[in-house]
Amino acid sequence: MPIFPSDEWVKEYVAKINTNEKYADAASDWEGDFLFIIEDDSSKKPVASIYLDLYHGKCRGGKFLDKSEGMQAAFSYIGPYRNWIRLIKREIDPIQGVLTGKFKLKGPMMKIMRYTRAAKELVNTANQVETEFK
Amino acid sequence: MIKLWFFRIPEIVYGEDSLSYLESTRHRRFLIVTDRNIARTDFPDLVMNNLPDASSSMLFSDIGEEPAFDEMTKSIERIREFAPDCIIALGGGSVMDSAKVIAFTYANPARQIYDLTPLEHLGIREKVSIIAIPTTSGTGSECSWAAVVSESDGLTKRKMELASTEILPETAILDPVFVRSLPLKQTVSTAVDAIVHAIEAYTSQWRNPYSDAMAIKALQLITGSIRSVIKDPLNIEFRNNVHIGASMAGSAFSNSQIGLAHAMGHALGSCFRIAHGYAVGLYIPEIIKYNSAAVPDLYREIRNVFPADARKKDLYGTIRYFFEEIGQPLTIGECGIDASAYESKMETLVKLSMESTGSLTNARESDSDSIRSIMLKVRGI
Ligand SMILES: [Fe+2]
Repeated sequence: MPIFPSDEWVKEYVAKINTNEKYADAASDWEGDFLFIIEDDSSKKPVASIYLDLYHGKCRGGKFLDKSEGMQAAFSYIGPYRNWIRLIKREIDPIQGVLTGKFKLKGPMMKIMRYTRAAKELVNTANQVETEFK
Repeated sequence: MIKLWFFRIPEIVYGEDSLSYLESTRHRRFLIVTDRNIARTDFPDLVMNNLPDASSSMLFSDIGEEPAFDEMTKSIERIREFAPDCIIALGGGSVMDSAKVIAFTYANPARQIYDLTPLEHLGIREKVSIIAIPTTSGTGSECSWAAVVSESDGLTKRKMELASTEILPETAILDPVFVRSLPLKQTVSTAVDAIVHAIEAYTSQWRNPYSDAMAIKALQLITGSIRSVIKDPLNIEFRNNVHIGASMAGSAFSNSQIGLAHAMGHALGSCFRIAHGYAVGLYIPEIIKYNSAAVPDLYREIRNVFPADARKKDLYGTIRYFFEEIGQPLTIGECGIDASAYESKMETLVKLSMESTGSLTNARESDSDSIRSIMLKVRGI
């Protein structure tokens, strides 16, 4: 079982995105990359991130990055490790997570508003990866 | 287990003579936002006569149907010069949503409309308060932190659903004097809107004990009185029940979200000219059928809230019977929309519905196929 977050986890996650019909349906004309940023529970400093190159309902590539590798993307979804665990277990709804301050979402709002369904499906797909936590 | 969540509502002043509350507010510079039709009535004077002594007011009444951002904010410079400390929204959903957008722009000159989101602090409440006085009984905007703004990119018209807790009105004044002479068509379409708010709030994926309580009481008040209002429009007691019920339904959906009927109703309203309440009411019966497998018990509970003589075998039958009785259209033909024009817009309608956040919190998961199939069921052929 891959550990979250890791290279193996991202590989499996990308494979799951690419077989998720709900995501493909919701993101059929989406163009733009996404960055998941995982913060340390106490210091709130970024400790790792996951970069996703998304295009027309598919993920063209994903990359696991440790904190030393800075990467920019059109959209970032940011939260502490403990909340990522709850999100992947689907104990937190990805949109409610933002509204209650457990996650932050950054990016051009004009676009995200129209693709909330795609963003939700994207995050929900993480639940399909059998995951081990640190 | 219940997770962290909120229940936010304005201070609510209700009942006959509740308008006189205005005299006691701490504000002194009032911007009154209303639409062109209401500007021709005595409502603005009624409001002005109730303002505190030694206060000043400015009237902005140049708002039409389904306003876009530019129309809502075209007098923003004059408004800035006047420097209000309170915005009074006097009207239906479009007026109240316009007042919210004006408050946002007034406090945030450099921001774009898309920045009206719950993700950032916008400093609106530090700058200005909003008092909402609804003149219809249905939209619930006086109790919600959402605003619908029409938008067109040249190709597609959209109804943007914007939200921020900072645009929740500070106070809602529910004075029945403003709805006593509401015309029949608007009485029905706005009441249907409120009924749909309550049903969608009660079955939303984000439902919670507070919104549940508001939704059920709202349904009881509205379904128990709307037929009497239609028969006896000047009866203030029945009007008051529907008026209060509509604001309860608004506070229910504002805190638990809407569902597919609103996603699809907004899509329909973007493509065709139709009253919002008729649009959401058109779809709700078929959506109830679609959702039934996911929330059978909740629908049974809702059915049992309808007046005994209107209850049919299930909620689907009950709502169709009730809607027919009060004059809510059940097919697009009855809404005055041509079936072939409707079909030619099908893919746009599906796409817009998919984009709407209402489709995400609906009782049952949906996709473009399920939305298309519900869309086609209301053709009436
Ligand atoms: Fe509505």
